[in-house]
Amino acid sequence: MAIKKLDEVEFGVDLPTFIPDTSLATTTQFAKLIGWNAPRFTDHEAAKKEGLAGAMAPGVLSQGYLVAMIHNWAPVAEVQSVDTVFRAPVIADEAHTITGVVTDIDEDNAKVEIDLTVANEKGETRVFGTATVKLPR
Amino acid sequence: MILDLHTHSIKSDDGRAKVENYCQWIRSKEMPIDGFVLTEHRQHDFESDYSSLAEKHGLVILKGSEVETEYGHVLVFGVTESLTQAFDFSSINLSLENVIETCEAHGAVAVPCHPGRPRVGMFAHTEELGVPNGVKIVEIFNGGSRDNEDQIAIDNAENLGYQGIGGSDSHIVSHIGRCATAFTNDIHEMADLISALQAGEFKAINFKH
Repeated sequence: MAIKKLDEVEFGVDLPTFIPDTSLATTTQFAKLIGWNAPRFTDHEAAKKEGLAGAMAPGVLSQGYLVAMIHNWAPVAEVQSVDTVFRAPVIADEAHTITGVVTDIDEDNAKVEIDLTVANEKGETRVFGTATVKLPR
Repeated sequence: MILDLHTHSIKSDDGRAKVENYCQWIRSKEMPIDGFVLTEHRQHDFESDYSSLAEKHGLVILKGSEVETEYGHVLVFGVTESLTQAFDFSSINLSLENVIETCEAHGAVAVPCHPGRPRVGMFAHTEELGVPNGVKIVEIFNGGSRDNEDQIAIDNAENLGYQGIGGSDSHIVSHIGRCATAFTNDIHEMADLISALQAGEFKAINFKH
């Protein structure tokens, strides 16, 4: 059920898990669209020559998925910030999962803080961060 | 008693967790840990007083540091004003042997963390630099480990006769408690933790699935 108001949110509640499309076709298309046409984003073999495990999804694509996940949960949310720490590359064509959980509720200012984690199939954290969102009362 | 010996709060440059939210999280999720040690990067937080939070939530909250050496990152427990004057906590290229020796001289304990990690872990450097003198304990379970980093730590620790601790290395609230350390005796203050580490009365625990 989509969240519409602040009082529907509880500390510690999980957001619905989000499965991002990290296929090479999508990450390549996105990279080209934003002008990041470097082979590390579009070509597995070229990325391996740079020491990566494969072509990687652009960081801003991961950030976009994080915001999409928040809006799936609360379409009316005003996303005020998404603060990310990129710990390891999100490798294209590998399955990833994005999880989110409410870790702070500021009732005075109608704001909620959400922990966000992008993990691979092995459960290893690739990207983590926090988002601050404002919700209607 | 179980403590997460490696956590970061918003005091660290890459930390995003407020200490109060760590406490709320541990209690609301009924986590099997009794407290945690804040180990902020390249500094020691003398100012913050978490005693009322600790009392409110019935948790042990202690403060250490995480410093950086030529062998990678190192947790320091038992930091004092005089220890922070003995070497530069903000440096990113301290000498590990000097950190260990200086900590011992000041009654503190230094523990290389995530030693199986490339670049910032001790065992990534032992082939080139040799096995450093003075190491007695390393972190063998780290909540942020990838691939076989924990296994590298475990195998090398066993070969070299090191004891192992566990810590989540949490930077956001929901990552606390993924790894921790169980102690035979109760730990209420830093002196208790130092005594337990020096006596070797502890065991690393991995709560990751």
